[in-house]
Amino acid sequence: MTTVTTPAAPAYAPKVRRMTLKRRRQFAGVVFALPAIALVVCFIGIPIGQAVYYSFTQWNGATSTWIGPSTWTQAFHNTNLWTALRNNGLLLLSVPFALALPLGIAVLLHQRVAGWRIFRSIYFLPTAISWVVLGLVAERFFAYQGTLNSIIHALGFSHVNTNMLGYQSEALIALGITFIFTMIGTNTMLFLTGLATLDPTLEEAARIDGAGRWRIFRSITLPHLSRFVQLAFVMTVIALFSALFSLIFVMTGGGPGYATTTMEFLIYETGFNQGDFGTAALYGLILFVITGVVGVVQLRLIGSNE
Amino acid sequence: MTTLLTPPSESEGREASRPLKRPPRKIGRWVLFGAMIVVALIMLYPFFVMGVTSLKSEAQFLSGGGFSWLSWSSLTSVIPVGQEVLSSTILCSSSILIILCVGLPAGFAFSKLRFRMSTGVFLIIVSAMMVPLQAILMPEFVNVTKLGLTGGYTGAILVYAALGTPFSVFLFTTYFRGVPDELIEAGIVDGLGYFGALWRLVLPIAVPAIATVTVLQFIQIWDDLLVGLLFISNTSDRPITVGLAVLAAGRTTSIPQLMAGSIISALPAMLVYLGFQRYLVKGLTMGIDR
Repeated sequence: MTTVTTPAAPAYAPKVRRMTLKRRRQFAGVVFALPAIALVVCFIGIPIGQAVYYSFTQWNGATSTWIGPSTWTQAFHNTNLWTALRNNGLLLLSVPFALALPLGIAVLLHQRVAGWRIFRSIYFLPTAISWVVLGLVAERFFAYQGTLNSIIHALGFSHVNTNMLGYQSEALIALGITFIFTMIGTNTMLFLTGLATLDPTLEEAARIDGAGRWRIFRSITLPHLSRFVQLAFVMTVIALFSALFSLIFVMTGGGPGYATTTMEFLIYETGFNQGDFGTAALYGLILFVITGVVGVVQLRLIGSNE
Repeated sequence: MTTLLTPPSESEGREASRPLKRPPRKIGRWVLFGAMIVVALIMLYPFFVMGVTSLKSEAQFLSGGGFSWLSWSSLTSVIPVGQEVLSSTILCSSSILIILCVGLPAGFAFSKLRFRMSTGVFLIIVSAMMVPLQAILMPEFVNVTKLGLTGGYTGAILVYAALGTPFSVFLFTTYFRGVPDELIEAGIVDGLGYFGALWRLVLPIAVPAIATVTVLQFIQIWDDLLVGLLFISNTSDRPITVGLAVLAAGRTTSIPQLMAGSIISALPAMLVYLGFQRYLVKGLTMGIDR
């Protein structure tokens, strides 16, 4: 504001000018914000509303018939929905690993061993490539003639043969392991940034006081990182519900049976393979609610330090 | 928030945050180094597999022995690599251009040209970041199809742009909050006008934020499968990631050729990542790195 620089000017003149300035500025603000608002409303806002409407209808993409709330009770009697939710729930078990491994790697990198910058670049490299490609490689890893069996044979268990993606009971485990691998880069990045903000004199002081490495890690490093761990947790859970599509599409196609069908894949499967758009829209809303709850937690976390 | 202006990045704080002043025992160092090597080997495993497998013919892959260029020389007859890379490039550049052209002015508006209810509108746009495409997939697909936009690239570009806009608005707004109001005010008073201020003052300042948005969105869009799979109806217009995924899911294409295609699809994203690593880190840790 220019108030300070024009104290001697007549009282009425700057006031009038500032009024119009303020209005012009607000107008410019609306004009500048409008394209972004329009894009988000048209392609995200309106579809949410439509999804609510269509979730009460029988819909094949072209024509829709109003059914009413019974579509919801019917959906919750569908075993596929519960299978997908159970699969997502079981995959949650991979989250601790997707956090602990990157945390260990970040601490390793933070020791600044010779060449740590090169190591850092290498560790983040898989983050750049598509989960389609990573899924392709993982499919090869777990395949009957894949790397996993080669490793097992090399260890001397020549009669043991795995085919994890081929069995209902094991395919989800293979998917979970792949998911952990794909999350390592991002989470390591987060934790490394957290470690960089840690005041080194604190560790130094603790060391002088006679604290061991483990004690320093538990009492100083970990508490300092808690906010970063929380954020990584939320991001990992959201990825688990909304980013596995590529992996599943390439690795298992949701099978065997429905063994690796998660919520997001069930939406795709129901809509585009079964042509049941109404039920798929309904499943979408369920996914929306789940990620919404997780998202609110994330907003809280970001908001808490602004 | 001045997060982006003073990022406490790893590379800058070398002297300031040197974690271990007293060098640990030598053996400990070697153990650490060994552990780092092991992790590096695991993280490089996908690249190793892609490289080695692509250098085999299908027969050599099945029998296990020998190498040849056969999969590479016959690659274009199985995967239309050139066309697919071109499609990916068109999709990425157009979507990112829209995201920037829409996000930058909006960020300027939400931080410096605040209007009635602007905070509320900003929060709504930011919360759209949390909406996964799968949640609104069916209505989105039907809308874009009914508008006749799935024929070319337009539909996919608009969907990518809409999905990327909330994050870019958030990033630009946060970034501009760190720029002093006086700078903009001075420009306006000097007669630049609001468009002039946006073009001559805000745009030059915003280069680091523009780079962050561009790098993150490039990797996101280049690597995406779902939008390209559903919102582009001509199979000949498919981007490379989608082309690969469809062939892989079909289970009839030879694995060495799929791996060769994977290398081509991974290369641009890797180069962008290696060249602009710090922008990527900045974008991913946006908002909490203090």
